[in-house]
Amino acid sequence: MKQIIYTEWLKVKNYRTFWVMLLLALVIIPAGNFMVADKLSDQNFRQVGKLLGNPFSFPDVWLTLASLNSYISALFGLLLIILVTNEYTYRTNRQNVIDGWERKEFVYAKLFWLVAISLTTLIVATLSATLVGMIYGEKPFSFEGYHYMLYYFLQFNVMLTIALLIGVLVKRAGLGIVLFVAYNMMLDQLLSFILKRYVGLPGGLLPLQSGDELLPFPLVGKMVSAGDQYEPYVYVTAMIGYIAVGIYLVFRKILKSDL
Amino acid sequence: MPILSLQNISKRYGAVQALSGVSFEVPAGSVFGVLGPNGSGKTTLLGIVTDVLKADTGSFSLFDKTPTARERRQIGTLLETPNFYHYLSGYKNLEISAAIKQRGKDDIARVLEICGLTARQHSAFKTYSLGMKQRLAIAAVLLGDPEVLILDEPTNGLDPSGIAEVRGLVRKLADSGKTIILASHLLDEVEKVCTHVAILRSGKLLLSGAVNAVISRNDFVELSAADNAQLQAAMLRYPGCTGADIQGGLIRASFDASPDAAAINSYCAQQGIWLNHLQLRQKSLETAFLEITNIPAK
Repeated sequence: MKQIIYTEWLKVKNYRTFWVMLLLALVIIPAGNFMVADKLSDQNFRQVGKLLGNPFSFPDVWLTLASLNSYISALFGLLLIILVTNEYTYRTNRQNVIDGWERKEFVYAKLFWLVAISLTTLIVATLSATLVGMIYGEKPFSFEGYHYMLYYFLQFNVMLTIALLIGVLVKRAGLGIVLFVAYNMMLDQLLSFILKRYVGLPGGLLPLQSGDELLPFPLVGKMVSAGDQYEPYVYVTAMIGYIAVGIYLVFRKILKSDL
Repeated sequence: MPILSLQNISKRYGAVQALSGVSFEVPAGSVFGVLGPNGSGKTTLLGIVTDVLKADTGSFSLFDKTPTARERRQIGTLLETPNFYHYLSGYKNLEISAAIKQRGKDDIARVLEICGLTARQHSAFKTYSLGMKQRLAIAAVLLGDPEVLILDEPTNGLDPSGIAEVRGLVRKLADSGKTIILASHLLDEVEKVCTHVAILRSGKLLLSGAVNAVISRNDFVELSAADNAQLQAAMLRYPGCTGADIQGGLIRASFDASPDAAAINSYCAQQGIWLNHLQLRQKSLETAFLEITNIPAK
């Protein structure tokens, strides 16, 4: 695995697009967190805050920012799609195998990015929320409610798994990005909306919606009744299931088909 | 121990049967030419051997073992096109190849020098000409000095001096005892270096084995005299002569066994015919190949 990570490092070390996108995606998290915290902490909103409590105080800040971050994560998916489709564009997916990787090692290499990106994001999101909680909150630091960040982490992994799967199946950056953005921004929510209306609760079990069900935006969540929901473990199980199925399909595609 | 042994390999792309039941062995130390016209299945065959394509049926072994990545790391392979990261320099691309082959970086300078890319090693791959890209691919093949090389149309995109250099390189590698599997439709390229061949047409193996054993290339004799008609009649009476045609002032006589020029000269003199031209020739591989694949010669 060390050798795979080293090889992947050589691939991106001098790849400017990668670093620019990564930096941008990472900066968006604290930038978004601080912007919203600052906006909602001015005088007008403080009146509302008196009724609902300060969403930036511990422990609420974990849910508030996990919920907010779930809207601004798509850039990481695009980054992963580019890392995957580059290999098909340059046909280096073939060359890596010709030169001496097993096909499964090629999958491990891309799964490494999935894990590396999601862990980095969790760390940045945790640090950002901690700072926001300390600056804009009124209560001392606490890990109570941190499980919302883990829900966000799980949803983030579902999102990256979808990006990886699209990259491997579509092989072209342009079409891959269009499909990913369409699904991420609209299709998942639209299908969920339709299913909820005509089928009911299972509508909340679509891949990205499962995470959204666990991460209601606090101000809205408290004002609007969330309605019926499954127990959280149902959504957590669904998300783990989606990740497992997605990764299985990626392995299957790369191990079985012509490169 | 054969380096590569193929058993009954078949592969279909939709309606096209790219390979059907191909079996042959590549002996250690041979320069093995995989020949065939465009679309005959050469690259498909090598793609299967390097695990980028999956055979529908059949199996193969490398170094007498079930092939895994470990066996592939011992082979330098150039398949079809040079595949590199466009945004990285030639040197950095070779660093990646070396990492995957699990070899150190210390060989990179040597292979760049052999392929004439030292001066441009730090330029991005996307700025290379077609010939330079091909040279970089050959440099990657040579990394770590592997004992076995697979070269699929290695002179693609090269200028005449580049073609000559690659031929020289292949010959040098062959002389040093390496096993080389060389796919090409340029017979001239193969004729000069190959010890063994496999000839494919439309996915079927027509024949395979040592060049001289599988391709009958009986010598023939070109001769002429003042009266070629008389010479032709005399040659047709010569024991073992299977044909004598007049072609552009010369008589081309073929035989069922290797002809003896001195004996022919003496025979003609006995017949009162004084030769003004006598030369022993060998059928070119191209002619033999075209006969085998039944493609009308131009």
